Amino acid sequence: MNSRILIFPVAAVAICQPALALVYMSVEQAQQLMFKGQSLTAVPVILTAADVSAIERDSGVKVYPGVLRAWKAEDGGYFFVDAVIGKHELITYAVALGPDGKVGQVEIIEYREAYGGEVRSERWRAQFVGKQHGDAVHVGRDIQNISGATMSSEHLTEGIRRLLSIYAMVLAGH
Amino acid sequence: MRWSLPDIEDRPAARPAPRPSRSRAAALRAASGPGFREVCRARPLLGTRVEIRAGGDAAEEDLHAAVDLAFAAVERVHRLMSYHDPGSELTRLNRHAGAAPQRVSAGTLAVLEAALHFARLSEGAFDPGVAATLEQWGYLPKIGAAPPAGSWRDVEVTPDGCVRFHRPVRLDLGGIAKGFAVDLAVRTLREAGVEAVVVDAGGDLRVAGIVPRRIGLRDPRAPAGSVHSVDLENAALATSAGYFSRRWDGERYVSALVDPASAQPFLAGSSVSVRAFDCMTADALTKVVLFAPPAVAERALAQCEAHAFVQASPGP
Repeated sequence: MNSRILIFPVAAVAICQPALALVYMSVEQAQQLMFKGQSLTAVPVILTAADVSAIERDSGVKVYPGVLRAWKAEDGGYFFVDAVIGKHELITYAVALGPDGKVGQVEIIEYREAYGGEVRSERWRAQFVGKQHGDAVHVGRDIQNISGATMSSEHLTEGIRRLLSIYAMVLAGH
Repeated sequence: MRWSLPDIEDRPAARPAPRPSRSRAAALRAASGPGFREVCRARPLLGTRVEIRAGGDAAEEDLHAAVDLAFAAVERVHRLMSYHDPGSELTRLNRHAGAAPQRVSAGTLAVLEAALHFARLSEGAFDPGVAATLEQWGYLPKIGAAPPAGSWRDVEVTPDGCVRFHRPVRLDLGGIAKGFAVDLAVRTLREAGVEAVVVDAGGDLRVAGIVPRRIGLRDPRAPAGSVHSVDLENAALATSAGYFSRRWDGERYVSALVDPASAQPFLAGSSVSVRAFDCMTADALTKVVLFAPPAVAERALAQCEAHAFVQASPGP
C-alpha cells in the first residue's frame, strides 16, 4: 500500500526567509468600506499622563500615546486606526464604532510577521514604510498563503479593549 | 467521505444568482485577463486572523459584499462554538448537558457530530474532550471547579437532535470548528457567485473555484518562512505544530496540542499538514496524524481521501 503520509526533512540550518508582510487596504479604503459616503473629520486624541494611567487601569493594556488616530463621522460614529505589537507580529487595524459606541466592524489593514525579536525593532518595522496595497500581488502560482499553526489574535483583542477605554474616557460626549 | 454543510441561521434569503459555470480553460484565461479583480481582507476571528480572498470579473463592490457575508458566517460560528464566550452554545453544553439534554443549532450539532465521528475513526487520537487539560495549562478559561470524569465517549446526540452528557465532560471544538467556519465561508462566497476563493483561518485554509494556489508550509524550525509547498485546487490544507503556542508554565513547557493518550503536550519541532477536500476534515486529521498509531492514521486518511505532509525535525 502506498503511504498517504509524506515526510519532508527539515533543514538543520534555517534558511533565511523574508518575513510575511501583507497590506490589505489603505486607511482611505477602510474609511470608504466602513462609512460609505459619509464625510469623516479627524479628531485629535490627546492623552494626559493622568488619562494614560486611568486607561491602563481600566483596560489592563499598556498605552503608547500618539499611536491611535480617530475620525468622527457625520452620524456621530467614530473611525479609528490603531496598531498592536505581539510576540511575532505587528498589526495595524481599523475599527468602526456606531453612534451608540458599539463596535460595528473591525478590519485588519496591515499585518507583518516575524519569528524572533525582529518585530520590536525599529529597523525591522521601517522596511515596510511606504509599501502600498497591491504590491507583489499576482494571480497565479505565487505563494500568497502559508499554512502553519494558528497564531493567536490575543493582542488585537487587547488593542480593541484599550481603544474602547480611550473612547469612553476621552472622546465620548465631547 | 464528504460532509454536507447544514444551514445555519440568519443566512440572507436573497442572494445573487450564481453565474453560469464555464470550462476550466476559459476560466483560467479569464483569471489572468484584464477584467479579473481580487479583493483580500482580514479580521480577527476564531482567536486568530481570518483572511478572505475573493476574485472574479464582478464589480469590486460586489466582491466586497460577498466577503462581508462570508465574514458574517465565520462570526456566527465564533459566537456559537467559542469556549471563551460564556454566552456560546458550547458553554451552555459544558454547563448544562450533564443535567438535561440541550437543544443546539444545526451548525453546532453538525460540528459536534463530526468531532465524535473523527474521535471514533481515530480511536480517540482526535479528542474533543481534552479541554480540562488545556484549562489547567491556561489555554482555555476555567468554566467549572471540579475536573470532569467523563470523556467524548459520554456525549450522546439523541434521535431528536439534542445533546446530553452521561458523565461530566468539557467539550472543546477548537480542533475542528475553524475548519468548519472556513468551509461555511467558502460556500457563502461560491453561492454569491465569486469565482476564485481562498479562506484562511490562521493557516487552516481552503481554495475553491477557478484559480489553483500554491501554499507554503511554515518551516517548523523557522516559522517566518517556508521551504516546502503544496498545490491546492478545490481542496483544503490544515497544519498543526507547537511553535506558536509553546510556552513555559513555571514548571515545564506546555503547548495547545495535547496527546489524549498521555495527556502530555506536543513539543517536538515538527509539523503536520493535511490536504483534504474540505477544511473541517483537514483540521481534524492533523491531530489524528500527530497522535494516532501510523496504521490508524493511514486508514483515516484513506477513508477521507486525504494526504498528510510531515515536516520532521529531530528534537524540539
